[in-house]
Amino acid sequence: MPIPFIMPKMDMDQEEVVIDQWLKNEGDTVEKGEPVIIVETDKITSEIEAPAEGKLARILYKENQVVPVTQVVAFILKEGETEADLPHVETADDETQQDTHQSKSAIEGKPISATSLAKRIAETEGFDLREVPAVGEKITKEDIDAYLQTRCKIKPRVESPATPAARRFALAHNVDLKTVEGSGPRKRVQASDVLNAVQQMSHKTPDRQSTATKLEPLQLTSMRRRIAERLTASYQNIPHIFLTVEVDISRAEKVRKQLNQKASTKGFPNISITTYLVKVISVCLMRHPFLNAYLKDERIHFWEDAHIGIATALEDGLIVPVIHKANKLSIHEINRQVKTLSQKAHEGSLSREEIQGGTFTISNLGMYGINSFTSIINQPQSAILSVGAIKRRPVVVDDEDSINVRPLMNLTLAADHRIIDGAIAAHFLVDLKDLLEDPEGVINSG
Amino acid sequence: MPEITFRQAIHDALVEEMRRDSSVFLIGEDIGTYGGAFGVTAGILDEFGRDRVWETPISEETIVGSAVGAAIVGMKPIAEIMFMDFLTLVLDPLANQAAKVRYMFGGKATVPMVVRMPSGSGTGAAAHHSQSLETILMHIPGLKVVAPSTPYDAKGLLLSAIRDPNPVCFVEHKLLYKTKGEVPNGEYTIPLGVADIKREGTDLTIVTSEIMVHKSLSAAEDVSKEGISVEILDPRTLLPLDVDTITNSVMKTGRLLVVHEAVKTAGWAGEIMASVSESPAWDYLDAPMRRLTGKDVPIPYNRFLERAAVPQEEDIVREIQAIVSNQY
Repeated sequence: MPIPFIMPKMDMDQEEVVIDQWLKNEGDTVEKGEPVIIVETDKITSEIEAPAEGKLARILYKENQVVPVTQVVAFILKEGETEADLPHVETADDETQQDTHQSKSAIEGKPISATSLAKRIAETEGFDLREVPAVGEKITKEDIDAYLQTRCKIKPRVESPATPAARRFALAHNVDLKTVEGSGPRKRVQASDVLNAVQQMSHKTPDRQSTATKLEPLQLTSMRRRIAERLTASYQNIPHIFLTVEVDISRAEKVRKQLNQKASTKGFPNISITTYLVKVISVCLMRHPFLNAYLKDERIHFWEDAHIGIATALEDGLIVPVIHKANKLSIHEINRQVKTLSQKAHEGSLSREEIQGGTFTISNLGMYGINSFTSIINQPQSAILSVGAIKRRPVVVDDEDSINVRPLMNLTLAADHRIIDGAIAAHFLVDLKDLLEDPEGVINSG
Repeated sequence: MPEITFRQAIHDALVEEMRRDSSVFLIGEDIGTYGGAFGVTAGILDEFGRDRVWETPISEETIVGSAVGAAIVGMKPIAEIMFMDFLTLVLDPLANQAAKVRYMFGGKATVPMVVRMPSGSGTGAAAHHSQSLETILMHIPGLKVVAPSTPYDAKGLLLSAIRDPNPVCFVEHKLLYKTKGEVPNGEYTIPLGVADIKREGTDLTIVTSEIMVHKSLSAAEDVSKEGISVEILDPRTLLPLDVDTITNSVMKTGRLLVVHEAVKTAGWAGEIMASVSESPAWDYLDAPMRRLTGKDVPIPYNRFLERAAVPQEEDIVREIQAIVSNQY
């Protein structure tokens, strides 16, 4: 077999050389190691030596022609060999023809331009050069390397790199790992990334809620603003104390029933529980002047009469019409005023006088079923009474521990501790309880 | 508690058990008059005489082979291989006989013997006298492999090893002999197969043994100043391995580093990591498990190269920092 004269690769990244000059012609005898070709690379010119001793045959590349490295450029015939022994080799022309042929048959009709080395790799590796994207004009070995790398890249089973702990958290918190930016190496999602994402999600949830309720901010009405200011000032300035007492109103109910029977025969309206309370409280306040007083300029000022305010809920706020000099009014007169003022309150037709000058307030939430509650003192008063619902409950009624079911009502007094100590408040409240539980004297008094 | 050296703790365990149990005897090279290559058996010959302290010619196969025979017939030999490197000479009696007898005789014969073997580098003893070959032993079912790191563990584990009805390889790192630690007076045992947390932490679990426990403890102390909390877990017994304690710790910290002096390839770090992979702790890992081990080379004689061949404190510090800061 004739020995192929192969163009050696002189540099790691070298792909081709230009034949500068053949120092020997076809038919010349060469010694092994004798310079035969002078080639040019981008860096230098070099002498290429004969790989063996023999006769130079079939020069495949002419001077000034570009030769891919590792390509056979000629053959050396050993002693006794002739040109007939030479194998068939594709010439550069053949390759060009093949290129043309390929380009014609290419589906996209685009001619393939590739270096010979690239072509050879494609042939050896068995893939289609048309699949290889080229960076420059020609497909190079680098292009093929890049292509092969992407082609061989394993498609991972899971799309997002994440630590096992991160995956566990993602599963537990129902977080899509693809939505989480990984802080780990190669953008790997760490457990802390998932937890941060969860936290952000939980922050977003109230955001959404506030958007939902963020319809239109409600401008405070002047009434609402005044309520807000006054109650804030009261609660901030007055040290409140609260006392609660339970009142058995079975006798009061009986009295009220009798009154109502009489009233109906006279065509009077029914006596309400509020009326009843106003009456009894006004009497009681006369016995306990500190509860019917106020603090101003380091003095305690006492009122001569009991002017009882009745906290009345309105659709958009709260108003406190006043029964003036309640201590001097009959229960029927009080009842009349209570009803009139209540009606006016709801109509919004209360006069200035009708809401001024209160010395004590009662607030009744019993009709809502509230057992007991506390109220904020209505300045400049010094006490307010919170009235709970009347409910029938079992109660010990004598020293024999007998239990009866009685209508019971909780009263909670809020008092200004600056002028009313607990004992004073207690005396008032217990006195009030006694009067309410034994009402005949009070009611009949007026 | 009195503080004694690792060497003294092993010495005391040997003496106490020889006094307690007359079937216990020592066999090895230079363990009598000379007191052993590392002085562990100094003075034992004087107390117990030549019937209990057998000094042999330089033939490790004879030492272990005789011990196996003696154990099968009811004695409790404690053999000493002067250097663990000579393990390769005794693999037949140890791996092919001692480890199998109990199984092959259906439990009717037991081999209650201990082979003590000083291991490890750091003494300039070069390639023939510096290896850590415990993984070879771990690969043989029927053997137990104990590798203590403190005097307390050494004494308690050695007593358990001597009383165990199976062949137990007792690995003693040479650099530990002079280290000191508190050891209570009197008898106590530590069960084989139970790991010990040498330092509690929350950010990273280091599983390590022998001298590397101490290097890891120093490294953990170093990085604690950066706010890194390292848990250090010493298996103490490498075979059987206390996998539960290891996986529990990894579940707590989410990160694992195994440090051993034995070479990396097919070293026991791989076994620990594989066990964690198979356990529920896998789901708790928040970083790749890592190992810091001896390099895959024979231990060099040159002291700089010898130092470079096995993990040092600064290497452990770097590795902890890298793992905790998500560099892997």
